Amino acid sequence: MLKAIVIDDELYAREELNELLVETNQVQVIEQCSNAIEGLKAINSLKPDVVFLDIHMPQITGLDLLSMLDPDTMPKVVFVTAYDEYAVKAFEDNAFDYLLKPVESERLLKTLKRINAERTELPNYGPITTNKLELIPCSGFNRILLLAPDEIEIAMSEQTGVHLLTDKDKFTASLSLKVLEEKTDLIRCHRQHLINPSCIREIKLLDNGSADIMTKSNHHAPVSRRYLKVIKDRFGLL
Amino acid sequence: MEITLLLLQQLSVYLVIIYLLSKTPLFMPLIFVSGRNSHRIACYVLFSSFCILGTYFSLSIENALANTRAIGAVMGGLLGGPVVGLAVGLTGGLHRYSMGGFTDLACTISTTSEGLIGGLLHLYYLRKGQIEKIFKPMKALIITLVAEVIQMAIILVVAKPFDQAWLLVQSIALPMIIANSLGAALFMSIIQDKKAIFEKNYNAFSNKALRIAQRAVGVFRHGFDAQSCQKIAGIIHEETGVGAVSITDREKILAFIGIGDDHHVCGRMISSDYTLKAIESGEMTYADGYATAYQCSIHEGCKLGSVLVVPLLQADGQVFGTVKLYEPKQKLFSTLNRSLGEGLAKLISNQILLGRYIQQKNLLNQSEIRLLQAQVNPHFLFNTLNTISAVTRKDPKKARELIQHLSQFFRSNLKQDIEQVTVKEELAHVHAYLEIELARFADRLSVTENIADELLSLKVPTFTLQPLIENAIKHGTSTLIGKGKLEINGYLLEKGKDTLVVLEVIDNAGQYQEPSNARGLGLQIVDKRIKNQYGQHYGLTMTCETDIYTKATILVPLQKQ
Repeated sequence: MLKAIVIDDELYAREELNELLVETNQVQVIEQCSNAIEGLKAINSLKPDVVFLDIHMPQITGLDLLSMLDPDTMPKVVFVTAYDEYAVKAFEDNAFDYLLKPVESERLLKTLKRINAERTELPNYGPITTNKLELIPCSGFNRILLLAPDEIEIAMSEQTGVHLLTDKDKFTASLSLKVLEEKTDLIRCHRQHLINPSCIREIKLLDNGSADIMTKSNHHAPVSRRYLKVIKDRFGLL
Repeated sequence: MEITLLLLQQLSVYLVIIYLLSKTPLFMPLIFVSGRNSHRIACYVLFSSFCILGTYFSLSIENALANTRAIGAVMGGLLGGPVVGLAVGLTGGLHRYSMGGFTDLACTISTTSEGLIGGLLHLYYLRKGQIEKIFKPMKALIITLVAEVIQMAIILVVAKPFDQAWLLVQSIALPMIIANSLGAALFMSIIQDKKAIFEKNYNAFSNKALRIAQRAVGVFRHGFDAQSCQKIAGIIHEETGVGAVSITDREKILAFIGIGDDHHVCGRMISSDYTLKAIESGEMTYADGYATAYQCSIHEGCKLGSVLVVPLLQADGQVFGTVKLYEPKQKLFSTLNRSLGEGLAKLISNQILLGRYIQQKNLLNQSEIRLLQAQVNPHFLFNTLNTISAVTRKDPKKARELIQHLSQFFRSNLKQDIEQVTVKEELAHVHAYLEIELARFADRLSVTENIADELLSLKVPTFTLQPLIENAIKHGTSTLIGKGKLEINGYLLEKGKDTLVVLEVIDNAGQYQEPSNARGLGLQIVDKRIKNQYGQHYGLTMTCETDIYTKATILVPLQKQ
């Protein structure tokens, strides 16, 4: 049984695909999400084998979502779209799995067969994902929020998740630190910390070869010995 | 008495010269009083010459000259105004002075004052707004008579010795007063005739031109083809009375009516050198059959003896056809019809171009409507099919309803060539669309509608409301993660003395962006079509507060229906 998550902003479309998947007896739909932000959280927490991902969704599209997934824990992705010439062409060119709505059962079976056969291999989604994220989905207290990367001063990975500090607030991101490092301008200053270089006000050098960064809004982030050199290089300091 | 007869003899020759001159274009400036400097200068030159001529046609009497100089001076003043009168009088006077004699100074002064007197009468009628009255020969007669009497008085006062002057005036006063008054009256009469003939011709010309123009209006609405050309050729033939009329495009005869229509057949390729020349050069060609030989290029026995070929020009100067007027061999081509021919070609060109423009505009309107229809975008269609497919499983009854809505939506989309629909009909179209979108966005879209009842029977351009709602969903509510809300309002608004029909579509997304290229094309077309129909004050306005709302407002005038 494949564990699957269905992400689609349309209720009927979700239900329809769910039914079809259940009918195949090969898939267990462990979650249905109505937008990419919920979807991202579900993928990160439930670690499905396969995600059925609608392209057109509000705020963050299916392709945006794909860019936000950690390559290390990347599930198989099957794109689902009603009509999108460009996306379909990209899928064809890169031999990615995709389904056209309304989904035909036979086509779905074919897709599942392929997924089962290549269960260990992961395709390279590079050609259709973005290098830089424009919005970072976060969950605050009882709300969903989309942060622009340059608002973030510090990102840190803690037991409770990845936290983002802006000038005033603290949010919990649905992305891994690694994705943030790769897809934003934040740079690594510590195993568990990223810093926005344009927000650094002061780097205090400590005796043990490490350092402490203070940001414009007086947040602190530790700098480990290993990354201090990288940061010094970046700013042309010796 | 003898002097009177002799002077009248001189006057006859003088008048013959004037009559002959009146046949030349030199006289044209005299028949209208325009007050322009060109007119004044023409008057000055012409009447100064007449004034001097009058001095030469004189009889030598008592060491002085009995003459008809006064005619030129008074007429110059009458037709040219006081300044011209004064100048003509002075010129004539100085010329007389140069010839000497004991009255030389007296004559200079009197001639100058005669010019001024004529000018003063001109001024008088000008002030009274009755300038046309100066063309009355009787007026010229009286004013010249008065001027001559004054001249005699001046001679008596100025010329020395007085005794000699007195003798002179006794012998020349009567002949000069008679000859000059009569001469001025006849001169004016010649001008008047000339003016009458010109006006008659002019009227005939403009009447003809106007009648043809009136009848030609709208003939080319459906384009420059054989049918419309045949119709126009018929009108020209009737109105001008020429022997035959033909219209061609660049290659062939499109229409021919009149003498010789047995062998000048429509659809025949152009063979006449004159026509080919006119097409190539873009200039009128004319063969009068006498100075320039004309022979019909199709048939030797053709009765047509002269031809005028006028090219039809596009705005860029390109020739796209010709109009040809023919006269038979025994008839002369009237100048009237020749100049009319030129004007006609212009008129026809304009009518054809207007016809083309209207046609293109209609095509554009139609293609724009088609474009709006074609904007039923594939996203919508496939998403709808997917929704229906999903609904079918759970609720076949609802699925059937959705299919009905979809077919109604397409049906009203395909209704072509309908410019206007009632608000009620447009709302039905909107509802069909909304039912589908409501099903598709099931839990994420809600719509409130508030349309005043009195609006339902009013007419609005087709595809006015639906594109706005589609836009509000596509670029508005569907981009929201939360719940989308749509509000549709319709009401009447009193604005000054006008009543406006207001239609609003408001979404709670606030994602509107200024249109760029393809995006927002639907909205632009909605706006353009309303402006085309009702004027610049009406149309579509978009207001937006980012992330709060976008509001599309349509204004159209309340039509008297």
